[in-house]
Amino acid sequence: MLDHELLARLLSRALRNGGDYADVFCERRNALSYRLQDGHIHESGLSLTQGVGIRVIVGESAGYGYSDDLSSEALMRAADAASLIARNAPRRAHGSIPIAPVAVAPLYDQHRTAHAASRRYADLLSRADVAARAFDPRVGSVNAHITDEVQEVWIAGSDGRIVHDRRPLVTLGVQAVSTSAGDRGSGYAADGGRTSIAYFDEHDPEAIAREAARIAIVNVEAIPAPAGEMEMVVGAGAGGVLLHEAVGHGLESDFNRRGVSLYSGRVGERVANELVTILDDGNIPGERGSLSVDDEGVAGAHKVLVEDGILRGYMQDRLNARLMRVAPTGSGRRQSFRSMPQPRMCNTYMPNGESTFEEIVASTKRGIYAKGFGGGQVEISKGDFVFMVAEGYLIEDGRITAPVKNATIVGNGPEAMTRVTAVGNDSRLASRHYTCGKGGQYVPVGVGMPTVKISAITVGGTGA
Amino acid sequence: MRSAREDEALQTARDAVALALAAGATGAEATVGIGRRLSVEAREAVITKLEQSTGKSLTVRIFVDGRKTTFATADFERDGLRAALARAVEQAEHVAADELARLPDERAETVPDLGLYDPAIVERGDDAGAEDALAIERALREADPRIVNSNGSHFGDSSSLVALANSDGFAGSYLATRASRSTSPVAHDGPHKRTAHYGTAARRLDELDDNAEVARIAAMRTTEMFGARKPGTMRVPVIFERDVAAAVLSDIFSAVNAANVAVGNSWLAGRTGEKIGSDLATIVDDGRLPGRLGSSPFDGEGVATRRTVVFERGVLRSFLYDSYFARRLGAATTGNASGGGIGPNSLYLEAGTGSLAELVAKTPRGILVLDTIGFATEHATGTYSRGARGFAIENGELAFPVEEFTIAASLPDMLAGIDAVAADLRFDGSVVSPSFRVAEMTISGS
Repeated sequence: MLDHELLARLLSRALRNGGDYADVFCERRNALSYRLQDGHIHESGLSLTQGVGIRVIVGESAGYGYSDDLSSEALMRAADAASLIARNAPRRAHGSIPIAPVAVAPLYDQHRTAHAASRRYADLLSRADVAARAFDPRVGSVNAHITDEVQEVWIAGSDGRIVHDRRPLVTLGVQAVSTSAGDRGSGYAADGGRTSIAYFDEHDPEAIAREAARIAIVNVEAIPAPAGEMEMVVGAGAGGVLLHEAVGHGLESDFNRRGVSLYSGRVGERVANELVTILDDGNIPGERGSLSVDDEGVAGAHKVLVEDGILRGYMQDRLNARLMRVAPTGSGRRQSFRSMPQPRMCNTYMPNGESTFEEIVASTKRGIYAKGFGGGQVEISKGDFVFMVAEGYLIEDGRITAPVKNATIVGNGPEAMTRVTAVGNDSRLASRHYTCGKGGQYVPVGVGMPTVKISAITVGGTGA
Repeated sequence: MRSAREDEALQTARDAVALALAAGATGAEATVGIGRRLSVEAREAVITKLEQSTGKSLTVRIFVDGRKTTFATADFERDGLRAALARAVEQAEHVAADELARLPDERAETVPDLGLYDPAIVERGDDAGAEDALAIERALREADPRIVNSNGSHFGDSSSLVALANSDGFAGSYLATRASRSTSPVAHDGPHKRTAHYGTAARRLDELDDNAEVARIAAMRTTEMFGARKPGTMRVPVIFERDVAAAVLSDIFSAVNAANVAVGNSWLAGRTGEKIGSDLATIVDDGRLPGRLGSSPFDGEGVATRRTVVFERGVLRSFLYDSYFARRLGAATTGNASGGGIGPNSLYLEAGTGSLAELVAKTPRGILVLDTIGFATEHATGTYSRGARGFAIENGELAFPVEEFTIAASLPDMLAGIDAVAADLRFDGSVVSPSFRVAEMTISGS
C-alpha cells in the first residue's frame, strides 16, 4: 500500500526520539453486507476503509498515531505523534532501516479479490429465510445477515521486515423468533470463516436457518431456569465459550506481565484439574480466529496454555514478550489501524478426554445441560465469569428432561477448572461466528470443547 | 456562525450527495465526521500509552426508488468516490423496493448551539492529559495503602465535527467535545486479587470529577469488596446503584427501540398506552439538554432532536423512532436516528428524592448491586439476568460484601417493581439513571 522508501522514512521518523521498536501497520478493508428482514432484502452496505497506524515501543510504554489520510505529510504527523512517547527516554541512534519483504505461508486464499455478484448474497439470505419459516409454523420473525470482507494488511517493523497478509472473512447468521400462546423464544445460528461465500455451496444456508429455528422452538417451549448451585454439563463445541471466558482472558500476557491476572507468575503451577488441557491455535485453516501472521507480523504458534492441569504459558504480543523475555506467540491482534495491538486469543479449545457424552449425562443427578452459549464476560483479576446459556436443559437423575430458558451461569475460573470431573471424547470447534471484545476492540475468534462435566456451578434463573 | 472547517466538510457532504444522484440515486444523504483524539494511560510513574490521532469518515445513505444501501469510506478523493458510489447504487438493485425507505419527511429548520463544544479541551496539550493520568495513579496509592497495582489510569479527550447534507436540501453541522478520566486499581485480598473500575465523562473539562475523586471512588470500590462471599439463593429487594441502574435503562432502550418493536423483538411491542411500570417509572429521552453527552442539534438523518416522554408514571407513551420505523409503525420520528439505526439521545429515569445511603437505610433486608457482568437480556421476552456483586443489606445497613451471584427477573416485573428512586441522577453518559430499588428479584447464590 505504501512504498518501501516511505515506510523506511516513517520508521526512522517514529524513532527520532529513540525507542526499542517501531512498526507501521497499513490496512485496507473492503466489506460488503446484506440484511434480510420480513422476507425481503432490507438493506445492503459497502464499506471501504484504509489507513495506517504507527507505533513506537519504549520499555513498557507505547506511543501511537494513526491516519486515514495517506499523504506523506499526514503519515509523518502520525509518526511524530507516536514518537512522543520516547521524548524523555534515553536517546538511541537508529540508522536508516532497509525494508525487506518476508514471505508468509498463507492459511487462506491470498488471491480472492472482489466480492461475488450481488445476487448470490441475496439468494443465500432468501433461502435461509424460507428454510427458517418452513421449520415450524410458530417461527414468526426471521432476520438474516451476510457479511463478506477482505482485510489486507502490510506490517513493517524497525527490524526491517515487512509482511503482507490478505484475510477473507464471511459470516451468514440467522435470528429466528418463535411465538406460541403468548410466549416468545429466540434462536441464533451462524457459520462462515476465513473463506469466500463459496463456503455456502457446501454448507447450506438452510442448515443454519433450521438450527436457528430449532433453538427458537426449544426456547418457546422452555421453562424458567432454576436458581442455585448445581452440576453442569457443558456442551461440545459452543461450550468453548466457557474456556474463553473462564481461563483464556486470564492467560493474555498484558494482564500477567502487569501482575493483575490471577494467573500472574504461576507458569508451572497446577491451575486446573489434571483432566484439563487448553490450547490456542491460530493456524487452523478456515477458522475465524486463524491468521497467517498476527497484526505485528508474527507467525501464529500452536500454544499449549494448560497441559493436564498445569499452566504452561501465556499468549504473547511483542511488547509483553520482550518484557517477559519470551518469544511472541503470534497473539498480537487489533481491530483496525485505529488501535494498538493487544495479546488476544485466536482459536481456543480443549482436546478430547475419555468419557462419552452418555456417561457424562448419566452421572449427573441434578444439573443443567448447557448446549449453546450466547456469550460471556470475565473479570480477570479474581477470575469471576458469567455466561449466558442460549440453549439449555435440565438434567434429572441422569436424564436430559425439560428445556430451560434464560439461564445465566456465574462462577470463578480457577474454581470451575478444579471442578471439572469428566472430559468427553467428542471435542469439536463451534460453528464459526464468535467475536471477542477487549478494551473496546473486537476481533473474530474460534472456540471449541468436548462435553465437560463441572461438579458445581451457580445457575441464575427465576424458576424453582 | 459556521467555521471554515465546517463549511469545507459540508461541501464534501454536498459533493457526495451530488455524485450519488449522478450515479442514479433518487435520494441521498451524506454525513462527514472529522475527529481528533488523545488517549493517555499511566501506570505508577510511567506513561504507558500515548495516542494522538485524527480521522475522518464519510457515510452515504443511498435510496434508489425505495431500495436502500449504505456506503462508508474515509477516502474523500473524488474519482474514487464516484466509482464507489456507482458500485453502491448497483448493489441496491438486489435490495427489495420498500416504499417507506426514503429520506425523512421533516428536517431540522435551525441548528441551535447546545453548548456541546469546550474550547478548553481543544486548547489543552497532551502534556496536561498525561499529567492527569499520572495524578490519578498517585492519588490511588494515597487513597488507600492496600492499592498495590493498577490496570492503568486514563485520560482521554476528543473533538469532532459532524456535517450532514441531503438531496432534500438539508445542510447542517456542529462541533462537539468529550473528555474522560478513568482508572481500575488492583488490591490483594488474601489469596485473591480484586479490581474495580470508575470513570467520569463530560462534554466540558470542568464538569469531570477531578483526579483525586476518580481515584478515591475507584479505590473504595476495590477495597470495599474485601472478604466478599456468595449470598444464599433468595428473593429480596434489590437496589441498583446509579451506574448499574443506567445499564438496566440500556435494556429498556432496546425494548423501546422502534427497530426492535417493528420486528417483534421487543416485549413492549403493541403495548403503547398500557400501564407497565410503577408510578415512579418516568423515563424521558431528550436530545436538547444543554451541554449533555447525549445532546445534538439534529439526529443522524438531519431531523431536529427533541424531548420524548417514553414512560410517564409507568404508562408506555412512546417508542423511539427514526423516520423509517416511524413510517412503518404509523408514528412520527422522535429524532433518534443514529449511525444508520436508532440510538438514545439522553435517555434517563427521572430523579426521585434522597441519597443512595438513605435508600439503603429504608431497606430492612436486600441486596445493593454495585457492579454487573454479562449482557443476557432476551429482548423478545424481557428476561433479565446478570452476574453481580455488591452488598447484603440487613436492618437498613450494608452488612457484608457479596459476589459471584446472579440477579434475575423480567424487565416488566422490574419496571413495575420500582418502589424507590434516589436523587443521584448525573448526565455522565447518554443513558443515565439515578439509583433505584426493585421490590423483589431472584438472587441465585449458593
